Parts: sequence; C-alpha cells; structure tokens
Amino acid sequence: MSAQVIALITVLVLAAGGGMGSVAMAAGAGSAGGLCASPQTVHGFATCADIPAAEREGAVIIYSPDVEQGTAKTLEAFHALFPKIGTNYVRLQTGALYAKIQAERQARTYVADVLNLSDIGLVFDFEKRNGYQRYVSPQMAAYKPEYKSQPEGNWTWGSVNIGGIAYNPKFLSGDQAPKRWEDLLDPKWAGVVSVKTTNSGLQHFVWYMLTKELGADYWQKFAQQKPHAFDSYVQQFDLLVNGQDKVAESAQYSGYLEYKERGAPLEFVLPARGVPAGPEIWGVITNAPHPNAARLFLDWFLSPVGQKPFLQALHMHSPRTDVAPPPGGAALSSFRLLLPSDWQDFLASRTAFNRQWDAMTGRR
Amino acid sequence: MVSRSSLASADHSPQMDQAAAEDLAGAPAQRDDGPRIEVSQLVVRYGDTVAVNDVSFSVRRGEQLALLGPSGCGKTAILRAIAGLERPASGTIRIDGELMHSSADGIDVLAEQRGISMVFQSYAIWPHMSVFDNVVYGLRVRGLDPATVAEKGDWALDLMHMREYAQRSASKLSGGQQQRVALARAIAFSPNVMLFDNPLSNLDARLRVEMRVELRELQQSLDLTSVYVTHDQEEAFAISDRVVVMNKGRIEQTGTPEEIYNQPCNRFVAAFVGAANLIAGRVQKDSREPGRIVFEMAGGILLQGHAQHAPQGDETQVAVRTAHVTLAAPGVADGPNAVAGRIRRRLFHGDFIQYLVDWPAGELVVRRPPTDVFEEGAGVVVSFAPEHCILLES
Amino acid sequence: MPAQGVGLSARLRQLWGRLASVQGVTTAVVFIGCGTLVLYPILFLLLESFNTGDPVAFPPERLGLGNYRDLALDLHIVGNTVLVASLATIMAVSFGFLLAWILSRTDVPGRRLLERLIELPYYMTPLVGALAWSILAGPKNSFLNQLWRATGGQGDLFNSNTAFGIAWVMAFFEGTVAFMIISPAMKSMDPALEESSRILGRSKLQTMLGITLPLVAPAVLGSAVFVFAEMLGSFAAALVLGLPARFYVITTAIFESTFSYPPEYARAAAMGFALFGVMFVMFSFYRRIVSRGVHTTITGTAFRPRAMAMGRWRWMLVAACWVYVFLAVVLPLAALLLTSFQRFATVMVRESVFTLANYRTALQLGPIRIALMNSIFLGVSVATVGVLIMTLLVWIIYRSSVPGRGPIEYLIMFPQAVPRMVFGLAMLWAWLNIPVPIYGTLWLLALAYFTVLLPLGVRTLAVVVLQIDRSLEECARMCGASWAYQLRTVTVPLLRPGIIAAWLLIFMASVREVGASIFLMGPNSKVIGPAIISSWMSSGTELTAAMALIQTATVLIALVILLRSVSMISGESQW
Repeated sequence: MSAQVIALITVLVLAAGGGMGSVAMAAGAGSAGGLCASPQTVHGFATCADIPAAEREGAVIIYSPDVEQGTAKTLEAFHALFPKIGTNYVRLQTGALYAKIQAERQARTYVADVLNLSDIGLVFDFEKRNGYQRYVSPQMAAYKPEYKSQPEGNWTWGSVNIGGIAYNPKFLSGDQAPKRWEDLLDPKWAGVVSVKTTNSGLQHFVWYMLTKELGADYWQKFAQQKPHAFDSYVQQFDLLVNGQDKVAESAQYSGYLEYKERGAPLEFVLPARGVPAGPEIWGVITNAPHPNAARLFLDWFLSPVGQKPFLQALHMHSPRTDVAPPPGGAALSSFRLLLPSDWQDFLASRTAFNRQWDAMTGRR
Repeated sequence: MVSRSSLASADHSPQMDQAAAEDLAGAPAQRDDGPRIEVSQLVVRYGDTVAVNDVSFSVRRGEQLALLGPSGCGKTAILRAIAGLERPASGTIRIDGELMHSSADGIDVLAEQRGISMVFQSYAIWPHMSVFDNVVYGLRVRGLDPATVAEKGDWALDLMHMREYAQRSASKLSGGQQQRVALARAIAFSPNVMLFDNPLSNLDARLRVEMRVELRELQQSLDLTSVYVTHDQEEAFAISDRVVVMNKGRIEQTGTPEEIYNQPCNRFVAAFVGAANLIAGRVQKDSREPGRIVFEMAGGILLQGHAQHAPQGDETQVAVRTAHVTLAAPGVADGPNAVAGRIRRRLFHGDFIQYLVDWPAGELVVRRPPTDVFEEGAGVVVSFAPEHCILLES
Repeated sequence: MPAQGVGLSARLRQLWGRLASVQGVTTAVVFIGCGTLVLYPILFLLLESFNTGDPVAFPPERLGLGNYRDLALDLHIVGNTVLVASLATIMAVSFGFLLAWILSRTDVPGRRLLERLIELPYYMTPLVGALAWSILAGPKNSFLNQLWRATGGQGDLFNSNTAFGIAWVMAFFEGTVAFMIISPAMKSMDPALEESSRILGRSKLQTMLGITLPLVAPAVLGSAVFVFAEMLGSFAAALVLGLPARFYVITTAIFESTFSYPPEYARAAAMGFALFGVMFVMFSFYRRIVSRGVHTTITGTAFRPRAMAMGRWRWMLVAACWVYVFLAVVLPLAALLLTSFQRFATVMVRESVFTLANYRTALQLGPIRIALMNSIFLGVSVATVGVLIMTLLVWIIYRSSVPGRGPIEYLIMFPQAVPRMVFGLAMLWAWLNIPVPIYGTLWLLALAYFTVLLPLGVRTLAVVVLQIDRSLEECARMCGASWAYQLRTVTVPLLRPGIIAAWLLIFMASVREVGASIFLMGPNSKVIGPAIISSWMSSGTELTAAMALIQTATVLIALVILLRSVSMISGESQW
C-alpha cells in the first residue's frame, strides 16, 4: 500500500483513540457505616471527607431539580471555599432527573456525585436499588430523625418546601382571595388556577395530605376547575403576576419569597388547617466519579455554612433549627406543617396520584 | 510504462521535439511502423444500452483520424474509452503498443497515467486560474522545474497566439480565446497522442472555419497522432487523413475522405456525407466490365453505374452526388447517363446554385457553380459519369 | 474469437486495485463512518419501540407490537399534530408563493433587500419566534391584548397558545423555506409564457393564477410536502406555546413521556419511529416531485425574468412584503428586546421597571456563559470537520463511479426524516449502552450535530458540485493529475463558495440546535438551545428573552459574515 494510505489510516486511528472529557468509571470504595473517628473542622464546618483526595478529584457534579440560578449560586459559594474543586450540575424536574439517572446507571455510566430529589417515593426507590452511598456526616447529628434516613447516612433533608395558596393583590382584594383549601373549589376560580405537574414532588405531597384532610372527592371537585399544570413554580407565579391566572394552588413559599424580593405584587395564604410540606432530599451516590469531593460537598451543604447561601439563593427553609429562615420569611416553627405519618402509604399512593393528576391536567 | 515514456518526451525541449520528429520521420525507428493507437473489438455500455458495438480501428503515427456520425452513434464514447474516462465492457485498447485497457485481462490504466492529451467540447478552462496557470498545469503535475515550465508554457502560448493574455484570469476570455488556451494547455506537455472532442462546435461558423485550418497546421507541425470526434462532415473531411463513419454504435465505413465521398458503401453513408440523390430501381446482374453495372430506374431508363463489390442482385439504390450532376440545354451535349428533365425550382446560395429538377424518377437535386444559370421551367438534360453513379449495398 | 466476458478473478483484482488506492480507502472509511452514525441510532430506536417490558432495561426484556397498538390511544395527539401541520403548511406555502411571485416576477422596488430580509425568520429559529409571540399575543396580558383593551376592546383578541398560534409562528419560519424552494423555480421561468398570456388579454391576477402557478406547481407542491413533513417533526414552538394550554402534538408528547417518571421510553420510541416512517415517505415523495420538475443548472444562458409592471399595485405589494417582514422579524425581536430589559415580563407596559440584570445574568452566570461557549465551540468544530467530510462525501456520491453511491446518498438524507428530538433520544440509548465513554461529553453532541446536519451540508455542497462541469475535473486528469491532486487544485477551489456557505449554515444550525441536544446534554456539555428552554421553564420570561436574543445575535453575526463572503466570491467568475 502506498505511503499515503498508511498515513491516512494512522491519522484515523489516532483520532479515534483520543478522547475528551471522558467519564471516569469510579471505583467508589465507600466507607460503610459509622461516623469517622476524627472529623476535621475547615472553613467553619466539621467534615469527615478526605480533603486532599477531594481536591485531587477536582470536581463535583450535582443533580438537582432546583432553579438553575439557585444551584449555580450555591455551587459558587462552595467553589469559593474550595477553588480546586470545580462544580457543575444538571437541572431537570425531579421525575425527569430520576429517569435520567436511572438510565445512566442501568447502562453503568456514572456521572453524578450528589443527588437531590423532592419526591420521597423516588428516594426510597433509589435507596432500595442501593443508589445512595452510605456516608455518615458529622452534620447529620443536627437533623431530627424524621428528617433523615434510617439508618442515617443514606439521605438527609436538605430543605423544606411549603405549599400554600398564592394570589396577586392587584387583581384580588383581601376578602375576595381564598382563605381555606376548600375555597379553591369555588367555580369563580375555574380556568384561572394553576398547579404543578406530576413530576413535582411537592405536588404529590399536597395531593396526598389534602386527600387525607379533606377526602378523596376534594380533588374530583377540584378537577372541574380545569387547572393549568406547570413544570415549575416560576411559570405559576409569572401568570399570577401578569394576571392570566388568579390563584396558584400548591404555591411554593420559596417562590413567593423570591418574587417578593424582586418586587412582585404577591400575597401568600396559610390556611388554618395547615400547609403540606415536602422535603428536598440529598445524598451521595454510589459509584460516584468523585466520591471524596461528594462527601466534602455534603458536609458543607448540611452545615450552617452551606445551608446559608443555599437557602438564601433558593428562599427555602432549613430543617436545622440553628439556621435562620430565608430573608423575608417566617420561621419554620411558625407554620402548621402537614406531613405524612405513614411514608409507605404515601409512597404507595403514587400511582393513584399519577393517574388522577394526569387525567385532571389533561396529559392523557 | 507509457507514463514514463510520455514524461520522457516532456523532458525534451520544444526545439528538440521538432528536430526529433524530423529525424524520426526519415529514419525507421522500432515502433514507427506499428499503429500508434489500436482499438480492438471495443464494446461500451451505458446501463442497458450498448453505445459502442464491437468497433475496431487503428491510427497510424502522425495520422489524424476522424470519428464522424450523428449524435448517439458512439463516437464520443470511443474517445472517452481511449482517454480512460470511460470503462469499456469488453475489448482492448493499445497506445504505442502498450496495453491501456483489456477487459479480458482486467487491465485498465488510469486516465492520468496514459500520457495522452484531450481537448474538450466545453474547453474546460479553469476559471479560478490565470491563462498561464491553465496552460502549464500538465507541466506542473509532472514536477518540472519552474524554468522549464515557463519555457514550455510560453512556447505553447506563442503557438496559439495567446501570449499576451498569459496573466489574465481565465474566466474573462471569449469562446474563441478559451479554445486557444485549451489547445495550448493540451500541447504544452508535448504529448504524442491527442484526442479532440468536438472542439469547434461551440464556435460561430466563421471562427469554426478559421480554426479548422489552424488545428490541421498544428497537428501536422507537431506530428500529433490524433483522434477527432465531430458530427460536422465538412470539418471531418477537411482536416483528417482518414475518416470513420459511425452509426448506432457500429462503423459504417472507413477510408480517406475522397473514398468516402466518392464511393459511399451504403445508404447511410451516402446520405450523411455530402448531399446525394438516391435513385431507386433494380440492378441488372450481367455486367461487362468489373466494377461496372447497369441499373434500371423508373421509366425503364438504364443507367451506367459503378459498384465497389460484385452486385448481389438485390440492390435497389444508386447514389449520385448533387455536385456530380451536370446540366445542359437539350441537344447541346450528349454525355453518359443523359436523361431529359425540367427545372422546377432554382435556389441561389451564393457559392453555388441548387436546382430541383423534375425527371422520370421524381426529383433530382443538382448543385452547380453560380455561373451555370438556367431558368425555372426550362428543359434540361442531366448527365453524370458512371463512376459517380454508385451502387449502394442493400 | 473475442473474449466472452471478464473472468471473476480479473474482476476481483480490478476491484482490489481500486480499493487499495487512497481514493478507495477514503471512500470506504467515509461510507462506513457515515452509515454507522446514521443507522445505528435508528436501529436502537426501532428495537426500543418493540420493548413491552421494563422501559429502563436494556436490552429489552420483552418484545412485542404493543407500543404500536397503543398509538391508537393517542389519536387525539395525532389529530392535533395533523391540524397544526396543515394550518402551518397552508399559511407557509401561501406566504412563500406570494412573496416569490412578488419578488421575482413584478417590479416592486427594493427587491434584493426584501429577499435578504425574508430569509431572516429562518435564522431566528422557531424557539425564539414562539417566545416572542407568546409575549406578544399570549392570552390575557400580552402586549397586543393590552393594546386591544386600552383601545376599548373586551377580553382577549389574541391567544397564541392554540393550534393556530403554533401554526402562525411556524408559518413564518417555514414560509421562508417555501420561499426558498419556489423562488428559483419562478426565476427560471420563461417570461414569454406570462407575456403571451397578457397579450391575449388576461389580467395580471389571472395570469398569475392561470399561468405562473401551474408552471411552478412542482415547486409549490414540493414545498408543501416538505413543509408538512418538517411540521410533523417540529418541537420548540409546540413546546413553548402548546404546553401551557395542555395542547400536545407528537413531539411534545414524546418529550413528556421521556421527561417524567416513570419514563415511557418504549411509547416514545414507537411514536418516534412511526413519525419517522411517515416523514420518510413524505420526503421521498417530495424528491420525486422535485426531480421531475425543471432542473436549474446555471451554465451560460438562463432565462432573464422580465418583471411585470404593476402600476398602482406596486405600492400595495411592496407594503405587503414589508408587513410580512414586520410581522416575522421586527415585531418579535422588538417584543423580546423589550422583555429582556424588564424586571417583570408582561406586566402592564406602563408600569414596567427596566433593568440590565437579565443580560448581566445571562452573560455572567457560569452555566449560561458556558452553554454559549459550548455552542459556539461545537458550531465551529462540527462545521469545520463536517465540511471536510461532507465535501468528500459529495464528491464520491456525485462525481465518482464508486459502486453503492446511490444507496449512500439515500442514507445520508435519512436524518432529515427523523425529528431532531427523536434522533436525540435514539442517540442517547445508542451511545449510553456501548462502552465508548462519550456519554455526557461534547463529543456526543458533536456526533449528533454532525449526523443530523449531514443532509443540510450535503445538499448545499451538492448544488455547487453539480454546477461544476465534469469536464473541468476530467481535463485535470488528462493533464496527468492524480485524484488527490485534482481534488486539491481544481475541485476544492471551485467548491469554495459552497464550502463557505455550508460551513456557515452548519455553524448556525449547531448554535440553534434544540431537539437532539435536550437529551444528550450532560453537566459538562450544556448548550444554549436547551438552556433557553430550561430557563423558560424555570427562570422566567425576562432572562429567557435575554438569552434568546444573545443566541439570535450570534447567529445573525455569522449570517452577515456568510452573506458578505459569498457576495465577495460570486463577484468573481461565473462558470
């Protein structure tokens, strides 16, 4: 064969061999169980992570359904403390995020280090599949037992979302606005009320708790209001601000705070019966490509040092009692929280939720 | 390898080329008596249609052979097969004795390695290069040094009188100028064999006639062996040594222009080449001299004619060239094959007059010089020599 | 006796001789590479569509036709899709035909400028158009509805979140496509045909409908088929405008199926493959129609279209053109511009608070900036490498005599019949499940872009290649040039305008890409199209508007460069 041909083939082989940004198949040797012997304190928080190893890994990847700006600001704060660790994230709604991570793991491709889900059902599912890497952070002692996994170390509540009712006082006066959950069944809200899609974990909570409190026919009646369903609270609140919708059900308190900060005319209603609340649940993943960086991040995140920028950026409440509420918001203890008593029952209700909710919002 | 030999010839300086040509013309060299181009049993197919059907011919050294025929007769296919741009289905092609293509042996030399040159119908001038770059392309491909390249390039441009256009962009030339550049490019690397694909058909009539002569001069002075494809009979005859008349993929007749004109072998050749009258009738078998025949036409009139081969007896046509018929006033002269007729129409063409004469076999077309004037409606006697009354194969 | 045929061993020897050359190896590599890229994901898609077991398991545990049968349950989605596609096609083809007629057969002033402007909506992408019209004409408090109420009207005059709204936005985008298909046919018509109709006394309108329309019928019909097929696979506008109103078409239904938990991959695959089948048939139909029409090769004398004098009507027609440009380009861009500077979008305009914060966020926020950089980087790389490979491909298909080039040409056009997002999904599975570690990297996106943009690049280059007379290359060979030498010195220089055009088109298309990228992005490989959608879904309209404008600006800058360099080159020779 001529020299030209040989050269050509050589070039092709070299090109195929080179790669860029490859995904490392980490051999995640997890430390199973138990708090480490001597946690070190760095930048004001205690951590069991191997910091030099984390810095050698050089990156940490978060999968989270939070608003991108919020996640980005949080990660910036982490990166400012640990400049050698690059940060990155993927943002999708909880359902889509879980589908993505499942698809990846099934193909034995591991990209994410830390996972945040707002759907407890998916969390249990992931736990069952040994998705969470058990790591007992020194920070977890500050979390009440109902706010973390049993045994502790798999997952922990990173924040609490509260779902209430929101409206725009420019279009509704105080006495016109709904005060109780039952008020939303009034026909005058037909076509101008919004909710979130089945992908939203918080929405599942609201559905479940209101079914428990007000009975199954509450939602059947609510279906006649023909609500709009949205992927994100942002769209809900946007439509409130411009008047296309009159009320938002399962309105996120954190969204309300965010919009108020920007100067939007919004009011939040806390029905006396109580408000359903749902957590965002964080944990380190098995086979993470950067296991040490993941642990360091989790320690930082669960500590007051990390919770502060996170909650400020996303306007959410911390499950920790020693962290201040988000700016402009009331303390967590001042809310009457409605939380499921039987998590298994709550989980089992998922299919029923999906079916009824899809039918109500017209997805099928 | 032919490629090496063509490279070798390119190394010679132009003066050397001409001297060598004269030298070799006088002295018999090893391959000189053999034909330069040999095409044998060539078959070319385009999909299901057979464009060239078992064609064989050869071209001698220094000869210009024309492939003449209507469009679709396969002449261009043959040319491209010789060039190596088309792959024959079967047959062999030799150039200078070297096998260029043999279907049976699976040999097919790439076009760029055959060392022959070609002039395309569309000139194929590269618009993104200057005239000079166009002309010396073949020289640069062969890796010659810039001095030689410039020298040969200038020589070729001089020959085609395009020297002053050398640095002009090739896209800004007229048709005739592009033609010249194409020719200069084709001869620049001193090939021995040239192929012409209808090179003049895109020029206007006057330019065509002028260029014809120049082409012939060029071919002769450079001693090029060439195959010239055209559908213009005048052109083919004027500048070729031998002509191959083709129709529907087959050869109809091969010969010198005079042979083909004077002795067309069949109806197609007679009608295609020059203007001819085709007279229907019956040939009589008995003939006194070899080559002579007696042909009975309409009205029982007997004509003295000429036949190339012994008549079979079933031939039904003779051909008489319109230029071979003479007209005379009745009773003035009594030539061979004299038949009375009447002039129905006279058409003055400038260089000749065309007469449409009514005679017993219908209409006879006669071409006379402009001095030979007869009136419409006049009675005349037409006559033509027996050698000009050709019996056509059936 | 002449040889009867060619021996098999001789044939094989010939074939080997041709294969072992540089040309042969290059051809083989290019064919195998492109064939794999195109077919491999489609096969995965097909396989997954038969999966009736656990959707996440691979390889599928159970196979069956259940998913295709279930398509019958989604007939109303199919109905929606056909409705939107039909509306859009009718509008787009009407726009395209009228504009083509006005700009190539009449004497309205400023034709050349208008032609350039008419192409703009194409480069603005349906996503940007949908965002803009949602701001302009969304229900309740959009700009136009505010205007309507301010002048005393009641309720909503406009609602963009409907089938018609989606069709309206797409009609401008596809209208340009129709225009670009019909216009050349109009330009190469023999004006004598129209003139004889006028001499016989028919009015201009009668002439247009009776003579012009039938003559360009193949182009009109072809553009209708093409536009309809593209509409079936369109995604971005249906997402932005349809979702808030719970109006689903097939592509958005596929999107929903795969972006929820539990994911319905098999259902998505079956829908995707069915859509592919339909679009494939339509595109084949389109090619048949167009190839029967007149081929416009530019060699020497083409018809000079003589413009019809329109008298008073000139001004109406010019106005119509400018109204189109206004509606398609100016109004949407203005709406976006306004919104991008607002604190709260779609609030009563007179109460708006203006800020630069959105642009600051868009340009400074790490992920967004990175997404833009990634998109530009991908655009440059895919365009550069892509153009090289596509030039080779085009030469092999249209200029060489290599066996199998017909099927390869067909294969290359496959990705056009696959909706981008379906292809993205297919690539996701295809590459997720093989041990080559490109998942989540820019490599995967680059491969995806290259594959889906093959038809675009090949088409652009093919047009130029076909205009080059074969004899130009053959002559080079007769002068002794090898294949590589001839390519380098003759073909590629002659192709240069085409190469530049293809490069820029591919660059622009990469930067705009949404459908395939949405599935293939990873944390380290974010790109701007999906980032805009993600922002729309979660960050509010103002930031989204700013991002959309930045993306549009990038594309338009590239477009300006394209036009200037092409006009520079075509100022040279015409061959």
